[in-house]
Amino acid sequence: MKKVKCGFVIALISGVSLPQNAAAMHIAEGLLPFNWAAFWFAVALPFFAWGLYRLNKRSREDLSFKPLVGLMAAVVFIISCLPIPVPFAGTCSHPCGTGISGILIGPAISVVITAAALLIQALFMAHGGLSTLGADIVSMGVMGSFTGFLTFRALRSVKVNMAVAAFVSGLFADWATYFMTSVELAAGIRGEAAFLPLFWKVLIAFIPTQLPIGILEGAMTAGMVVLLYKKRPDLLIKMRVIKAREVAVIGAVLIALTIFFSGVAPAEASKWTGVDEAVIEKIAKEQGREPKEPLINIEQGDLPLFIFLIAGVVGGFAAGYYWRVLIAGKGLPICRGQDEPGPETSGKIRGS
Amino acid sequence: MLLLEYYASDHWLARIDARIKLLVTLIVLVMVLSYRGVGFQLLVAALSLTLIISMKIPWRLFLLRFSEPFLIVLVVFLLKVFFSGQEPLFSFGVLGFQLTGYREGLAEGIAIGSRIMAAISLMAVLVYATPFPELMAALSWLKVPRGFIEILLYAYRYIFVLFEEAMVIYQAQKNRLGYANFRNRLSSFGILTGSLILKAFEQSQTLSTAMVQRGYDGNMPLFQSRPFRSSEIFLSCLVVTVMGILWRI
Repeated sequence: MKKVKCGFVIALISGVSLPQNAAAMHIAEGLLPFNWAAFWFAVALPFFAWGLYRLNKRSREDLSFKPLVGLMAAVVFIISCLPIPVPFAGTCSHPCGTGISGILIGPAISVVITAAALLIQALFMAHGGLSTLGADIVSMGVMGSFTGFLTFRALRSVKVNMAVAAFVSGLFADWATYFMTSVELAAGIRGEAAFLPLFWKVLIAFIPTQLPIGILEGAMTAGMVVLLYKKRPDLLIKMRVIKAREVAVIGAVLIALTIFFSGVAPAEASKWTGVDEAVIEKIAKEQGREPKEPLINIEQGDLPLFIFLIAGVVGGFAAGYYWRVLIAGKGLPICRGQDEPGPETSGKIRGS
Repeated sequence: MLLLEYYASDHWLARIDARIKLLVTLIVLVMVLSYRGVGFQLLVAALSLTLIISMKIPWRLFLLRFSEPFLIVLVVFLLKVFFSGQEPLFSFGVLGFQLTGYREGLAEGIAIGSRIMAAISLMAVLVYATPFPELMAALSWLKVPRGFIEILLYAYRYIFVLFEEAMVIYQAQKNRLGYANFRNRLSSFGILTGSLILKAFEQSQTLSTAMVQRGYDGNMPLFQSRPFRSSEIFLSCLVVTVMGILWRI
């Protein structure tokens, strides 16, 4: 019992200290013995091959797909390198980013994206390694992407709100990644010891940072999906995250509401009187002071149209007279010829 | 984020073909992982570290690269020493708990630690002596699928562009107290990553349009490797043979 308690203390201490500046979900180079490293490569290989097959198929249909996948790999790389202060733990950690790539690009291609990001991190940042690439692909790529994708699809199929579905998928993707990492670590380093006790110790070690970072990853995933939905729903349709029908239905509802309110508002507005009529004129009448006719009644004839025409002519004349000042900017001389280069462009070839 | 990229172009190892370096590294890595003991791994770590020092790597870069693996070695070592084994070696109390170190755990901890240090330093030698495009060409020669290498090249090219973008947004959010409390942090981080995704989509469209205009047909041309030199083949065979003999001992 005492040993278990000590284990908890050490696990907590290591959990707080391990990810201080580290990519904690990456299993370090050389940590796994050869047989386990080979085993995880074998597990990752079919998923990777499937991802490559899907990638080649889609890039034959759309030439812009490979650059997009490459850029998504760069995004996953950056997200999994951004240090985020973790509350309660007093340390930094970072999300995985594989949940969102699974949702957007699909889980199979997301495995390829993760493998690319992991390989660059292993080579240039010593996060993970070549020998542990298989294990890292399984935990981050396979578990993260598939959990994120399946959770999102399952929740959307029962009509759960998009932001909530994205949040839960990001959360589960992150936790699934760390669950798998704990399995891999415990299996790889246990030696002759029993698997389960070591697995629990490693899992406990991850809890202080990964519990809150999972929530952060969920929020990040939700934020991303909602932002894309608001700004570029066409991309979500292209990525098959949502169907065009969904956007069409929402668009139709919005248009209908706009038409309804724009039609109803003027009719309703005519029933309402302003404060001038309702209060001031009423009290003035009660005091025996009837309103007088205005000297120039602009409601008669086409007087407003005439005033508008005069304003247009004056404004147009002024704009035409000072157009160089308006176009060239305040500080530049008005009479510079078009062929003369501006001061910031002379002597340089720009944009090369 | 620190991309610890450094290329020792003046070092003699940099003049050797990337394919040979990659192949030798992979073979020695397999030997390191499959060796049951400490001696061979410590030897590989020592040799690799000597090579790294001879490459005149800046100390800061060296420490940054090795700090994380060293921390992991420390944690794994502690876990092994205190939780693996039967035969107690030493014991002391911390915060009212009695901690006992075990002999078998100590041996296993040292073995794992030396394995990690050997593998990490071996990889560092490869990376410091080989530029990225040559490494990609070597991977292609090893029959790593071309589609994957293309993704790696795109990702490597755009990491810097997107990272710069991310830092600008992050600093702007930070200056406006976007990370002042947990709630703000959640919101700001969601916006940051969402903007990155949007940027990636836009960049990929621009990039593919530019590439199609320059004749892109779905396959990127890769770095062409030169023929092997006999001296390179001899040297690599010698290294592998010597390492193999030491591994067997």
